[in-house]
Amino acid sequence: MITVVGQCVAAFVFGTSVGVLVQRSRWCNTAALRDAMLFKSYRNTKALLMAMMILTLGFTAMISVGNGNPMRFDVGINQFIGLFLFGIGMVFAGACTVSSWVKTGEGNIGALWALLFLIVGLFLSSLMWSFSYWPPAGQTMTGQPNVAGLQFGWADALTLQRDTGVPAIFFGVIQFLGLFAIYRRILRRERATVEGMNPTPAPTPAADKMRMDLASATPSTARFDTNANARSPS
Amino acid sequence: MEFFKKSLDPIVALAIIAVMDIFLFQIVGAWTVGGGETMIAGLFVRALIGAKALNRIPFWHMVFKPTWAYWKIYISLGMGFGALVSAILSKEFYWRVPKHLSEWIMITIGGLLMGIGIRLSFVCNVSTFLGLTPEMNLGGYLAVSGLVIGAWVGSWAYKRVLGV
Repeated sequence: MITVVGQCVAAFVFGTSVGVLVQRSRWCNTAALRDAMLFKSYRNTKALLMAMMILTLGFTAMISVGNGNPMRFDVGINQFIGLFLFGIGMVFAGACTVSSWVKTGEGNIGALWALLFLIVGLFLSSLMWSFSYWPPAGQTMTGQPNVAGLQFGWADALTLQRDTGVPAIFFGVIQFLGLFAIYRRILRRERATVEGMNPTPAPTPAADKMRMDLASATPSTARFDTNANARSPS
Repeated sequence: MEFFKKSLDPIVALAIIAVMDIFLFQIVGAWTVGGGETMIAGLFVRALIGAKALNRIPFWHMVFKPTWAYWKIYISLGMGFGALVSAILSKEFYWRVPKHLSEWIMITIGGLLMGIGIRLSFVCNVSTFLGLTPEMNLGGYLAVSGLVIGAWVGSWAYKRVLGV
């Protein structure tokens, strides 16, 4: 059992490593979704999927042998609504929570401003919660369905393992394969895009020689030919 | 030092983070962001209005009792610190300030929406993609759906406002 100080030190070491790695790689969760939707660019999306695949196998393997600390979290409609608002917010702010901290560390005042208003939003919502006591918080979740609170109870790899007797890793492998299929589809789409940008076959040495001959014979034609060649995608 | 001279492939970076996160999952729990910020909000307001006044708000004595001994705060502070060190060592630290009023407005609304969203769902984007979903929590799938649709609506609105 690790002490509170140990927990905080481990968290700080982890956070610092994440800060360094995200800063050097320019990874951003907002970009992983926004760039895929707006620009059909998947650089960050592929990284997110890779992490999800590794974590799915890692977490479910640990749950299978009775290790790890899974979140005991009830499933609720509030998760859909909350993350819907969060999704709009992160695109508007141009950064999610991680990249807000990382960009702040790089000296970005806009990211610091986003963090400040994120904290303001958190506090205002805490007042709202105090008024309605909805949605159930971690401490008040029962693990059982609660229709009035739009909660469906606790359901994850651990409950699946407990209810079916099948090790969690089995379900983890199924999810891993699903994520891998999405990853492969992105790779195929990227390959198709690259091939679509190169519709013309590469010039043969004979064609190159002919172009050189033309260039030396008729300068004006050669100039035209060179320009046309420069404009065409290669 | 060579590490700070070139950029890192995000797939490699996220793979390393994921492996480290599995160790964190064993020690305290999966990587989350949002809980730390909530605690920072509580600590900040407690410093402003005092513990007695803050305790009158049910959320702050039932759900999040402000304390510095909360490990999630240190993940968030660590991310800022790590990025600062990395930016300085790679000579990429410089002050950047949004130039247009429209950017300030979008960032303000965005920050508020992120804060409200986190508090409503009790999770953020990191715990959605890299916590709940890898743990196969059905709430993670709901949250991913909400986040993707929200990001789509946000991208559409962003396009309309800024004409991207």
